Amino acid sequence: MIRAVIVMNTQGKPRLTKFYDYMPPEKQQELIRRVFGVLCSRAENVSNFVEADSVFGPDTRLVYKHYATLYFVFIFDSSENELAMLDLIQVLVETLDKCFKNVCELDIVFNYSKLHTILDEIIFGGQVLETSSAEVMKAVEEISRLETASNTITLVPKSISGWRS
Amino acid sequence: MALSGMRGLSVFISDIRNCQNKEQERLRVDKELGNVRTRFKNEKGLTPYEKKKYVWKMLYIYMLGYDVDFGHMEAVSLISAPKYPEKQVGYIVTSCLLNENHDFLRLAINTVRNDIIGRNETFQCLALTMVGNIGGREFAESLAPDVQKLLISSSCRPLVRKKAALCLLRLYRKNPDVVNVDGWSDRMAQLLDERDLGVLTSSMSLLVALVSNNHDAYWSCLPKCVKILERLARNQDVPQEYTYYGIPTPWLQVKTMRALQYFPTIEDPNTRRSLFEVLQRILMGTDVVKNVNKNNASHAVLFEALALVMHLDAEKEMMSQCVALLGKFIAVREPNIRYLGLENMTRMLMVSDVQDIIKRHQAQIITSLKDPDISIRRRALDLLYGMCDVSNAKDIVEELLQYLSSADFAMREELSLKAAILAEKFAPDLSWYVDVILQLIDKAGDFVSDDIWFRVVQFVTNNEDLQPYAAAKAREYLDKPAIHETMVKVSAYLLGEYSHLLARRPGCSPKEIFGIIHEKLPTVSTSTVPILLSTYAKILMHTQPSDPELQNQIWAIFSKYESCIDVEIQQRAVEYFALSRKGAALMDILAEMPKFPERQSSLLKKAEDAEVDTAEQSAIKLRAQQQTSNALVVTDQRPANGTPHVGQLGLVMVPSSANADHNLEDQGLAQENGTLSKVDPQSPSPSADLLGDLLGPLAIEGPPGAAAPTEQHAIPASEGDPNPADALALAPVDEQTNSVQPIGNIAERFNALCLKDSGVLYEDPNIQIGIKAEWRAHHGRLVLFLGNKNTSSLASVQALILPPSHLKMELSLVPETIPPRAQVQCPLEVMNLRPSRDVAVLDFSYKFGTSSVNVKLRLPAVLNKFLHPIAVTAEEFFPQWRSLSGPPLKLQEVVRGVRPMLLLEMANLFNSLRLMVCPGLVSSYFFSHGPLSST
Repeated sequence: MIRAVIVMNTQGKPRLTKFYDYMPPEKQQELIRRVFGVLCSRAENVSNFVEADSVFGPDTRLVYKHYATLYFVFIFDSSENELAMLDLIQVLVETLDKCFKNVCELDIVFNYSKLHTILDEIIFGGQVLETSSAEVMKAVEEISRLETASNTITLVPKSISGWRS
Repeated sequence: MALSGMRGLSVFISDIRNCQNKEQERLRVDKELGNVRTRFKNEKGLTPYEKKKYVWKMLYIYMLGYDVDFGHMEAVSLISAPKYPEKQVGYIVTSCLLNENHDFLRLAINTVRNDIIGRNETFQCLALTMVGNIGGREFAESLAPDVQKLLISSSCRPLVRKKAALCLLRLYRKNPDVVNVDGWSDRMAQLLDERDLGVLTSSMSLLVALVSNNHDAYWSCLPKCVKILERLARNQDVPQEYTYYGIPTPWLQVKTMRALQYFPTIEDPNTRRSLFEVLQRILMGTDVVKNVNKNNASHAVLFEALALVMHLDAEKEMMSQCVALLGKFIAVREPNIRYLGLENMTRMLMVSDVQDIIKRHQAQIITSLKDPDISIRRRALDLLYGMCDVSNAKDIVEELLQYLSSADFAMREELSLKAAILAEKFAPDLSWYVDVILQLIDKAGDFVSDDIWFRVVQFVTNNEDLQPYAAAKAREYLDKPAIHETMVKVSAYLLGEYSHLLARRPGCSPKEIFGIIHEKLPTVSTSTVPILLSTYAKILMHTQPSDPELQNQIWAIFSKYESCIDVEIQQRAVEYFALSRKGAALMDILAEMPKFPERQSSLLKKAEDAEVDTAEQSAIKLRAQQQTSNALVVTDQRPANGTPHVGQLGLVMVPSSANADHNLEDQGLAQENGTLSKVDPQSPSPSADLLGDLLGPLAIEGPPGAAAPTEQHAIPASEGDPNPADALALAPVDEQTNSVQPIGNIAERFNALCLKDSGVLYEDPNIQIGIKAEWRAHHGRLVLFLGNKNTSSLASVQALILPPSHLKMELSLVPETIPPRAQVQCPLEVMNLRPSRDVAVLDFSYKFGTSSVNVKLRLPAVLNKFLHPIAVTAEEFFPQWRSLSGPPLKLQEVVRGVRPMLLLEMANLFNSLRLMVCPGLVSSYFFSHGPLSST
């Protein structure tokens, strides 16, 4: 099971965090800090795996990928395959890339809510839900359509009610 | 982007981004929270759009690490909004902010259920996602049937069904009863026929969870998993969007192989053959290529295949092929693959037969110890630790020692502990062990715990051959300009005890030894000073008749510390000063430390405790333990020293010096040492009490008390043994024609031990044999304490166990000689195979002076020790009793001619026979029973 997904920048500021086991906010922040402490000291061209037992307790693994100014971090237990998790990070990033056309940190900062939507289409309750970024895109686009559609609808009743009163 | 389109949120986010420091950020956040709070108070004026905006802001603030303790109700209430955008944000925020035990969540159950059973698929998806993320037990109970329906519905879109599968998995984790095994196993098998790979991936995760709990019920899924693997491996019917860098959905392949690892074996030969074909194809068809992502994906599949091959216990050929592959991986450039190569090789260690092939890669693994990546270095260390055995211990430990100086601090502690453990477990000879530990202290003193140096002292104390060597080594280290305090402690201790053995070497006169140790005194902490004081006292003791100059120097130090504020130091200074004025008597008082009784090494124990008890690691542990015993044989075959090695090389904790017991937790041991240091070991007539003291802490009880006669009568009666002589016939205790007469009645002692678990089994003027036992089900763990009561050794000690056919017994090595006044502990493992009244016999012999003694002693590993009392009520008892049909299962006997006993006394007796007395069945009668444990 995937325990947590953390996206943070290279200064350690969280951009997206999702914990699939409930954790109080202070604890979350502490973990984010400690993960950052480990990641920022790692050189380039080393493996993507970090011992996480001391941070998250026994039977946890941490896999991360470093893209430009962002770290994408997955924390999970031994029931998942490390390299498959690494692939899943790649799927997440490729999906973001398709969604935002060359994604950068700012896209992620200002489209915070969209990020949640995308992540929910890839990971569901700590399990891998979808691995095809094309399928994820389809689902996300559908949601966008719904949102715009209902946004226009919200406008209509308002004007109607105004007209009635 | 159309999706967010919330200006207020964007503005807030850029405000936060523009904050110069944390303080400004906090102010901005507080302002926003205040704003949101007031808006929520006056809820009526809020449009759903505004609510949505504020709730997103809350979530953003929450992510930044601020506690958001209000607005939960608003978030939850958005769930019941009729429009999609509000509902969506309600669901997303609720699943981020709330946990499954939150009260508000309960309020939402009905709305959530309506969304799930409603016709709107987008609502269904939202509801399923929320339940899948935070649904608890209550959700499981009320929603599971609906979710199951969605999953197997043929009219639902794959988008909904894959979410339903994972949602069901969550609910199953919260309450396993919601998935009815009988009804669901067929459905599960049908789900695996799914063509849509998204639904199949989710269903496979569900299957993994189900089979990990109960593989029996899902047996029918096994061939289907193999079919899926075949389909993917051959790339049949895999749509383009599920091909990831040319590999057909690696996740599904991985999950499927994971599911297969939960089935213990594959019995059907056809299925097994097809699976091995697929696995072979994966193992052979994977190459390291340039594209990192492709590499990762293909190796994800490959490593999972390796794990499955290991699980299936394939033929040796395939295993060697796997090791060869792993050997290739640990040398590739790609760090991820190097990492996993090492990790999987460690896992491979538990597979028998391949260790030798793994050893061929030792050089490469040692190279990985210098990898730039600490993750890889750690894996390499684990692997080296796991693969270490007697044959390569020297190389590996020396490599670890060398690496220690350059290793980063994060690893030094682990590294030194592992080196110490390996050195102890697999030492080819003891002087090497001493070398290793001293080097360890020298290089990483900060990381060497007291346990480690205590162990060295124990070994040296118990092995006379080792003493001059260890003392010489300690002397060498003292010449170094700067040494670690632990090194000061250990060398001061060793030189105090054994420096007289070096007296003829240059630089080793008592004066010089004293000088070089005393140089260190100003640099050490208060915990070390007492050890140094003891060393000085020992040096004085060894230089009788004393050198007045040295004596004055040392006396001056003692009197200086007589007023020390530290009680331990003060006491020693006062005592040593007083004692050393007694001249020759000092020699007796401060004689060399006696040998330590053997116990399990606290270090090895620590190592065992530290290992997480996962299946694979315990397998490795098992192997290590087996090898330990081999190593022991090596060390035990040292006929020259009579050191009792028992079980493991284990010894006890060491007192820091002659009568320094302050850091001993073991009170009993402290007492023992205290006694010893005041007693002249050469005393010509040791009293029995003295020995009692010596053995006291080792839980040997005195002769059985007045209750013994009663018990003696009771045993045959209660066992229902019609002919007590039967048992006696086996052990002809009367045949003994020894000149040495036993003290006490052997039969009485045996009878007493049948009822209790520790006591004296045998005693004569030369030896006392005590016994201590622990019984668990059909296992028994006994320890024989062989105590030499004399001032000279007992020779040709032999202990043979003559077990009856129903007991499996294993006695650890018994040393050939028992040193004067020493006590040897010999563990004895007993396993009961079936019930029988036969008794095991210990054939024990030794030589003392000219007389040789041979006794045959019955061992109290009798039937009742394997009984396990259970309490039953009258309602339970009588139906069972009636259902038994006569002998041998049922015996009723009336015993006559027994001295009447008090009811309470009788109850106690039954209890000590491990029979349960169930009061109130029939007045004034007892019914005793208990199931017998045997394999």
